[in-house]
Amino acid sequence: MEYEEPGGGTKVRALIGKATESTASEVDPRLLKAIKSVVRYSDSELRIASQTLMDLMKRDHSQVRYLALLIIDELFMRSKLFRTILIENLDLLLSLSVGFRRNLPLPAPPSIASILRSKAIEFLEKWNDSFGIHHRQLRLGFDYLKNTLRYQFPNIQANASRREQERRERERRSKEILLNKYETLKANFSTIKEEIHSTVDEIGECLDILHSKEEHMPLDALDDEEFEEFRSSELRQIRLDSLKEGERVHENSENKVVFDALRELYKLLVSKHFASVQEWISVLVRVDVADSRFRDSALKEFIDIRNQLQPLKKKCEEAGCALLSTSNDDGEEQDFWEDGKVGPIESIRPIASNKRTEPLDAASNSHRVNYVALGSSNKESNDIDTLGHKCKEVDPNSMKSKLLAEAPVVEWGSSLDAWGSNRIVLANQRGLELESHWGRVDYDAVIPADKIAELNVQATLYREQQIEIQQCHAPLRKGGLCERRDLRVCPFHGPIVPRDEEGKPLNQSPSRDKIHIDLGTDLVEELAKQAVKNVRERDKEAAMKREVDKQTLKRAKLAKIREHNEAVLRNAALASTSRSAAISGDVEATNEENLLARNKKQSLSSMLRKKVTSKDRIAQKLLNTRARDATITQQTLSDDAVYREAFPNQW
Amino acid sequence: MWKEIRDREVGKVQSNYFVNRIASDRISKIELSNNKDIVSPHKGAVNSLQVDLTEGRYLLSGASDASVAVYDVQRATDYEAGGLIAKHKSIFVVDKQHEHGHKYAITSAIWYPIDTGLFITGSYDHHINVWDTNTTQVIMNFKMPGKVYRTAMSTSATSHMLIAAGTEDVQVRLCDITSGAFVHTLSGHRDGVMTVEWSTSSEWVLVTGGCDGAIRFWDIRRAGCFLLLDQSQSQLGRRPPILKRSMATKDSTSKPYTKQRAAQRKLANGNGTKQSPIGKVPAKGSARQRLHPGMLSSHDRATAHYGAVTGLKITEDGMYLLSAGSDSRLRLWDVESGCNTLVNFETVRLQTSKPIQLATTQDSALAFVPCMRTVKAFDMWTGNTSVTFRGHYDCVNCCCFSLQDQELYTGGNDRQILVWSPSKLIPDEMNERPAEDQDNWSD
Repeated sequence: MEYEEPGGGTKVRALIGKATESTASEVDPRLLKAIKSVVRYSDSELRIASQTLMDLMKRDHSQVRYLALLIIDELFMRSKLFRTILIENLDLLLSLSVGFRRNLPLPAPPSIASILRSKAIEFLEKWNDSFGIHHRQLRLGFDYLKNTLRYQFPNIQANASRREQERRERERRSKEILLNKYETLKANFSTIKEEIHSTVDEIGECLDILHSKEEHMPLDALDDEEFEEFRSSELRQIRLDSLKEGERVHENSENKVVFDALRELYKLLVSKHFASVQEWISVLVRVDVADSRFRDSALKEFIDIRNQLQPLKKKCEEAGCALLSTSNDDGEEQDFWEDGKVGPIESIRPIASNKRTEPLDAASNSHRVNYVALGSSNKESNDIDTLGHKCKEVDPNSMKSKLLAEAPVVEWGSSLDAWGSNRIVLANQRGLELESHWGRVDYDAVIPADKIAELNVQATLYREQQIEIQQCHAPLRKGGLCERRDLRVCPFHGPIVPRDEEGKPLNQSPSRDKIHIDLGTDLVEELAKQAVKNVRERDKEAAMKREVDKQTLKRAKLAKIREHNEAVLRNAALASTSRSAAISGDVEATNEENLLARNKKQSLSSMLRKKVTSKDRIAQKLLNTRARDATITQQTLSDDAVYREAFPNQW
Repeated sequence: MWKEIRDREVGKVQSNYFVNRIASDRISKIELSNNKDIVSPHKGAVNSLQVDLTEGRYLLSGASDASVAVYDVQRATDYEAGGLIAKHKSIFVVDKQHEHGHKYAITSAIWYPIDTGLFITGSYDHHINVWDTNTTQVIMNFKMPGKVYRTAMSTSATSHMLIAAGTEDVQVRLCDITSGAFVHTLSGHRDGVMTVEWSTSSEWVLVTGGCDGAIRFWDIRRAGCFLLLDQSQSQLGRRPPILKRSMATKDSTSKPYTKQRAAQRKLANGNGTKQSPIGKVPAKGSARQRLHPGMLSSHDRATAHYGAVTGLKITEDGMYLLSAGSDSRLRLWDVESGCNTLVNFETVRLQTSKPIQLATTQDSALAFVPCMRTVKAFDMWTGNTSVTFRGHYDCVNCCCFSLQDQELYTGGNDRQILVWSPSKLIPDEMNERPAEDQDNWSD
């Protein structure tokens, strides 16, 4: 082999030297490959390489050490001989790469030094994991750094195993939860089915009612002959649309009740049944049970139900049940306010309360009326109220009604669906296997039952009682009564007091007014005092400001003087500084024999040079004999400057 | 190797020779043992290590967190990595929680030389405790005047059971286990005594090294020291090799000092301790007679090292003394003449603040010396470094060589106890290794 000739080591030495001469954060892969291929077939080359690398590790530059360490790692992971050679001096290698000895700190560029240290620690852990059992020194070094010096190791292997463990645990738990769900499903499969069926039936009935009403609509009776006349496609389209539009059952006063029922049922269908069916299907798909007969049958049924529900949903939508019928209501609300009638609202109240006593079908209707009257805010509560009323009517002195009487009134919402349920829910599993696009996803995150309950707690807002603002009712000159509604005082007729039909106050209370006036005078006095104080303060402030201005002016003057002084000094010092700088530059240029390195934009020495502080510069200059005098004069000058700064007037 | 065995079988080679050949062969191959870990329970620097002298099986370690532990170095408690790594956990640990445990760092822990039923610990809390190994209870307690640096018991003693204790105090005290009292106080040092070592050839001779740089020899039957080593007194080379002979005649000659040394002795304290029977008043120069015999050498200010003497080790035959000082020097002394043999040990750096524990091999060919973070094996007669053991990440305090297993145990400030053993001749169960260490070139 050609490399085993004496002097063959120069090649690997040159390669390693070249590879560690860059400023990159990686070893050039081609060079690395070349080193590896050279070293692979020759033990002597390997010895030379290890020697060279250890020499490089002793270099006083973190970047060189870093790259050398990278090469060492590459060879260490591959060659047994290299390992045995290197491990002899492992403590030296570690002290050079980790810098744990106080008398051997890592060299210059501190940023790279820290990278070097972290990398070295990482490598040591890796080496220890892979080859620790064969080399006591590795174990010792690892143990020393970890247990005595308390270095933080990345702990790769332990982390991986822990993650694996966690994953298994998660899977097990999710399986358990699924199994639990499955069991509950098994237990009340029939009730779920029944519920859904009843809802479906109800919707079907509602739709039937609507359509049966529409039977005698004239538009529907248009026959096909007429259809022939519409030749052009656009016209036909228009006609079709209009036909369809005509077919749609429009909501009116007659079928309002039905529509409301339908809407509610639809909501129930979409928000509860549809979701639950989906969930059950996903549970059944994912659950892993020994006896799959029930699972298969249930899955089949659920899929059937879903298929059944989908057309129904479509039908409902066609029938005009938007998911939330609020937009429609908003319109009505608008209309109401545009009317701008300032009619007495109390009149509606009794109607609402009357309507509460209506049977089930009318309930929703009644609350609609309420809604119109009082706005959307207390719609739900009214709904509950009416329900309560209904129940009372049905069975006035049963246990249930008693309980209902003292039960708190809760707003209607999806939270009622999970009322009192004691289920654990997987937070991040919704049947979709989404890759964690936004970061790590904790799949086994479980929301405990009490947390679910907490989350489902419906926030209840405090609602102000609608205060009936009394009309002023003061008699007007032109006849009639003042219709202004003010809270306390009418701007025209004074405080609002209860009055009779003609506008005469029922009972006079003059004392209250008087107190009010007294309060007023007090206030005036207070205000006057405050005003005086304000004025005085302002005066004081102005005086102070003047003073400050004077001071700043003075300071500015001083600063100007100082600036001038400094400029003079700088001019005086400039000649010497420039000369010394030029000299040092020359020295450096001669030092850089390597043209390549010079041509490089960023060289190793530049990395070191970057962090030169003014102190270092001064030290450098002090070393330079020719610049010494200049520096001394400059330093004395700067001392003078300090002195002068302290006493600027004396210059 | 097989050839040697056959030669031994047919009687070509003496059994003694054969054993020595094998042992030295093994010693030359000592390296950090990969398959023998001693799990150190210590939370502080390991200051003292000793393998018991009877079985060579139990390792005693004392650490600066005031804990002592005993390990079985022959039988592992459990195995790791598929039986590749044998873990030796401590049989028991005595630490500060023990009701009679030491309060401060333990500097010295030694076995009772006769059996493993007792061990002795000396600590910075001024106490020397004698422990019963089986019950791990303190059975005797000596209060010393200062921090205890080193304790020693004579391995060859048949008529006494004395613990020699070197402390912060200038006096060396001898504590008698049988009576529980101090039987002797040896004064002469001008500073604390870092190391004490009993002679291996005479049960009465004690060697101490002090912080004043002096190494003194004491005959415990008398007051005062009879020999003070002086680094300026030197002789060229060691005597003609008497190693083999001395070993053969060791039992018969209990006192190798009975040679003509009076002529060579320049320190002329004139007592001739060895020659004169006990109690007999030496009838020599009248001027000296007036002085107390022990006081003569106490006026002598000769030093063996510049700075403190931190370690002493007498060779197995009791002929030579290896000393280490805080001047980072190792010196080999001829005990008989009291001269420095001028063996030039390669320059090393030694720990200066603590006493260090040296070790030698049985035939005194190698000396193991803790040199900061490494342990070096020096050739005793040439002073060349034969091996450097790197493994500790902090200063090594003590090393102990097991003559029976040819294993070296070292303890250091990094709280580890490392085992250095001869590499296995035949790596057994090679095929059963969990993951063979081999090249892995992917490209």
